Amino acid sequence: MSGAAALALSAREAMLRQRRRVLWRVLLAGPLVFVGAALVMCGGALWLPAGRAQIDNLVLPIVLFPAIWAALFFYACLDRQLHRAYWLIGALGLLHAAMIAVHLWH
Amino acid sequence: MIRLSQDRTKTLLAIHGWSAVSLGLLLYAVILTGVASVFEKEISDWSSPLETNIVDPFPPGTDAMLRGLAATVDPQFHEELFFYPRAGDRLYAFFHKHELDEDGKPRERGVAAEFDPRTLQLLDRRSGTDEEVAAGERASALSQFMVDLHVRLHLPNPWGLLLTGVLGLAMLVAAVTGFVIHRHLIRELFTLRRRGDKLLGARDVHVIAGTWNLPFAFILAFTGSYFSFGSAFGFPAVAMVAFGGDQDAMFSTLVGNPPAEDASPAALANLDAMIADVRARSGAELGFVQVEHWGRADALVTMFMKYRDGKLLGPSYVYGGSDGGFRYAKPSLGRVPSSGSALFELMAPLHFGNFAGVFSKTVWFALGFASAYVTITGLLLWTQRRQAQRAWLHLARATHWVGYGLPLALTLAAYGYFPVRAGGGEVQPAMMTAFLACAALAALIAWRTPLQQSRRYLLGATGLALLGLPVLRLFCGGISWSGAWIQGLQPVLALDLAFACGGLLCLLSLRRSNLSRSTTLAATPP
Repeated sequence: MSGAAALALSAREAMLRQRRRVLWRVLLAGPLVFVGAALVMCGGALWLPAGRAQIDNLVLPIVLFPAIWAALFFYACLDRQLHRAYWLIGALGLLHAAMIAVHLWH
Repeated sequence: MIRLSQDRTKTLLAIHGWSAVSLGLLLYAVILTGVASVFEKEISDWSSPLETNIVDPFPPGTDAMLRGLAATVDPQFHEELFFYPRAGDRLYAFFHKHELDEDGKPRERGVAAEFDPRTLQLLDRRSGTDEEVAAGERASALSQFMVDLHVRLHLPNPWGLLLTGVLGLAMLVAAVTGFVIHRHLIRELFTLRRRGDKLLGARDVHVIAGTWNLPFAFILAFTGSYFSFGSAFGFPAVAMVAFGGDQDAMFSTLVGNPPAEDASPAALANLDAMIADVRARSGAELGFVQVEHWGRADALVTMFMKYRDGKLLGPSYVYGGSDGGFRYAKPSLGRVPSSGSALFELMAPLHFGNFAGVFSKTVWFALGFASAYVTITGLLLWTQRRQAQRAWLHLARATHWVGYGLPLALTLAAYGYFPVRAGGGEVQPAMMTAFLACAALAALIAWRTPLQQSRRYLLGATGLALLGLPVLRLFCGGISWSGAWIQGLQPVLALDLAFACGGLLCLLSLRRSNLSRSTTLAATPP
């Protein structure tokens, strides 16, 4: 294989790798962040303090859902290490999913 | 100035552009109908006024009027009653019970009625589920058409709400990224290069309008996505986790009125006396009344007040239904003030802009209009830069179609409403037919004629349609201008004038763009 062909191949590979990386990031910042934010909202009802009126734990996560989503979305878009973003958002979502499962089980 | 690495700025710029390009047209539709919905009450008062201005929509005699209605309603619907003023300050009352639909979602079923507060006469009566009752609506149908388009794009629930929720999030992203990528914020608030090339000037206008509008766009997007997602899945999902799916139990907890069940029969105390008491006690006007368990010993009457202009929050007042005695004042949620309730109560005035009467509504209208302008000019700039590519030309045509066709289609929905209402027909299908037919015609114009020409046709038609609206209203039996003046029906006069001015502005902007085009052509060397 000539040097120019090898260079073209590696450039193509790099482009494909970049495209795959963008797709993985879109998957994280799109559906996965949305599911993660929904789990944090639902799970938040279990660990947030209820406050004087005994309603803060129910109302605050719903009212603040856009903020939860936005924080996770921008983190997913801007973290340079994509796998770290997957781990962190995945852990947050799984933690809340586990809390919900334990609560519903009991 | 906000400092970011080149890499991150590039990412944010891409997010800003692509979020707007992928959802911009739908977002524009939601914002534009939201702008109209700011004046929802005024539009319904304009389209269906009673013959005179109503000074008090809850006059003495309201009690007898509602008792008369209750006597004709199946007692199963006495579970709950709402009553509040609607189009033209007609007093709307809905006796209903709560039930689950075929999919297990909660809904209301009962009997709705509308009364004339001057004569206490029944004007209209409908029965069925809440959706069926709303579908038979006539007096508020025109403003409701705009609101439904804004809230759920006329799609069935929960899909419409979920879609508008996603659009709210897209707007939130555009606002946050706009704030970060326009790094020279202060300078960009005032930079307009009129003598540069046209595209540069257009970009400057887009940036100026967008930059001034950033805080408002953020508020609107945040509160809008909360409203959409909250009702579509937020409350049901939290109810599922915290109350095993029992939404009624969750709402009882949130509202904070203890459910001390006592189903023994007891006549409801006099509502007129309670209304007089709450007015004296709160110093505010009454806005909305809820009666739980009409005719039972555990009946509760909750009065929601309209506080004076400029006051964002205030308590509601709860009375014992069987003795009519004042029980307690409470926030919207919970029995005592809390951060959750305060935040919840702030969402509505911040989204609707109704906290300082017509003044704040006008400001919200103007800022909302600027948001719609930023959305559509952003899309036009994006497509203008790429119009050599065939795929982007289609987006340019779609942008012209929605950008100029939607205001026309919304105006023509009123042309479906007035004649059919005057003829006694079904107004909802008439409005939808007029809207869709106009949208189809606008699509034909946008795809069959050059872009500049399609803009001229659609903007010109919108101008003429707006100018014709007051005339159409008069021809379809609406009150005359002198009659409206004498009877103090300000919304009729104000909106007739506003539509005429809007129509003239469309035609003038058309003339201006024609003049600038001919000047450019004359200045261009052969």
